[in-house]
Amino acid sequence: MAKHPSSGKYAIIGLGVVAGPQPDHSERMVATEAARRAIEDAGLTRKDIDGAIDLRRSGGAGDRANYTDAYSRVLGLHNGFYFTVGRGGALAGLGIATALSFLDRGVASYVCLMGAVTDWSQAQESRKHGHRGMVHAEKAGYWGKPLGDLRAVSHHSWMAARHMAVYGTTSRQLGAISVAQRAWACMNPEAKMYGRPITIEDHQKSPLVAEPYHLLDISLVSDGGIAFILTTADRAKDRPKPPVYVLGQGFDEVSSELWWEKKNFTHMAVQRAKKQAFGQAGLGLADVDCAQLYDCFTGEVLFQLEDYGWCEKGEGGAFVESAAIGPGGSIPVNTGGGLLSCYHLGDLTGMAEAIRQLRGEAGERQINDCNVVLTTGHGGELLSPGMCSIHTCTLLGRHP
Amino acid sequence: MSDANVIVRTEPWNKPLPNIDQDNAPFWEGLKQHKFLVWRCRTCGACYWPKAYCRNHDNAPFLENMGWEEASGRGKLFAFNRHHTAFHPGFKNDIPYTYALIELDEGPLVSSTLVGDKQPKDVYDVGQKVEVIYEDHPAEGFTLPRFRIID
Repeated sequence: MAKHPSSGKYAIIGLGVVAGPQPDHSERMVATEAARRAIEDAGLTRKDIDGAIDLRRSGGAGDRANYTDAYSRVLGLHNGFYFTVGRGGALAGLGIATALSFLDRGVASYVCLMGAVTDWSQAQESRKHGHRGMVHAEKAGYWGKPLGDLRAVSHHSWMAARHMAVYGTTSRQLGAISVAQRAWACMNPEAKMYGRPITIEDHQKSPLVAEPYHLLDISLVSDGGIAFILTTADRAKDRPKPPVYVLGQGFDEVSSELWWEKKNFTHMAVQRAKKQAFGQAGLGLADVDCAQLYDCFTGEVLFQLEDYGWCEKGEGGAFVESAAIGPGGSIPVNTGGGLLSCYHLGDLTGMAEAIRQLRGEAGERQINDCNVVLTTGHGGELLSPGMCSIHTCTLLGRHP
Repeated sequence: MSDANVIVRTEPWNKPLPNIDQDNAPFWEGLKQHKFLVWRCRTCGACYWPKAYCRNHDNAPFLENMGWEEASGRGKLFAFNRHHTAFHPGFKNDIPYTYALIELDEGPLVSSTLVGDKQPKDVYDVGQKVEVIYEDHPAEGFTLPRFRIID
């Protein structure tokens, strides 16, 4: 397949990660520190950065940063533009797509993209008032609130429930995803669940939150910040760290077809995104060495394994039970532990892990000869019924 | 609709309030009158919930070709979950509750809690016929739609 002219022409040259609970730091400072680390990692100074993008979980959940200050100002960047991009957990993919247009036209040479959250710290506060989970992040006025639809799990669990009812998938099969990702997290010292392996019995015994989802089907609530520096391939060559090339990107929306076909509870909007991204890269699914699939809940991982074609629709349960996605499996998935077991910074979690795998910095969990990584993002508006979301697909590579 | 399909609640409301806005106000007014409305296209008959431009053809400015019309209030259980956690203090006495996706006979999916003695036995137990129950909150000035299994 012929590559698109843009494939491999842009690269990530710096990564900055602030991980783990940050009770002593404001979101503003977590954001700024992540950006500082990314610039340092790229071997640049703040004077080199001429564009800044703030990755925020806007869209259905509203603008969820709890501060009103640009990290670019706090850090003292010499940037020519700063604005926010993002939709729910689809942040990094949309940020890259946006930054490329500035690099392509020569408006900027080095763009810093940063996303930060302090959900864990805020959840500790709201717990004192009797509210569980991410009350600070839920948009007021969504249809189901008076009826008990209070959190993402209230409607996301329908996705697992519907898939189970249509295809016979079991809770144990969903649990196999949790167990596999926890095994990866136990090889990642940065993961929240590092050193805490689980078995399928642990998954089955964990409390039922919104049945069929157990606690161990649900992603973490986290603090942290992740930033990365994007530039052109020619500028990426002489940096201290190996460049990670953007090979292809694609996008699709649930609202285009799945919503109207009532298939949004068994499918994600993958097809158009996959075709675009793999088409630009001139690659096929067999070329992917590991996948960082958006995993707000176990069901989303199952859907994407089917929708991308690692197995047939409806056969995801048997596929994950065959140990295909864990360490040593045929398609390693969420190799840093993912949102389920590492930390939840939207699709930045998978983006950071993809960069490390492609640089060969993943330590004990390093995939041998890792050349191509698929990362996905997911997020959207809370309508009734459920969520109407975007799917983003970004292919990253070790070689242009 | 018989009285059997109406529940009147007088205790103070300690949960989030309904989100009644310019687009859905007629729907909420219909509930108070014990009517379940859907947004229907008078050109082709397609039904929508919530309100949307008809997807089957071009539409008149601001949807003059569409309107709220009374629906059957009946449908089928599409999928459901069972909440075992009260994320909001107002739901402490309600757990566990069944929160369901209902496929209305007119087509659209809606969501609400499934009330009554007949409850699905497990997550695979779907497809049952359901009908709407109107839960009046006269002191609060709104009516909530609930559903119950009728077969």
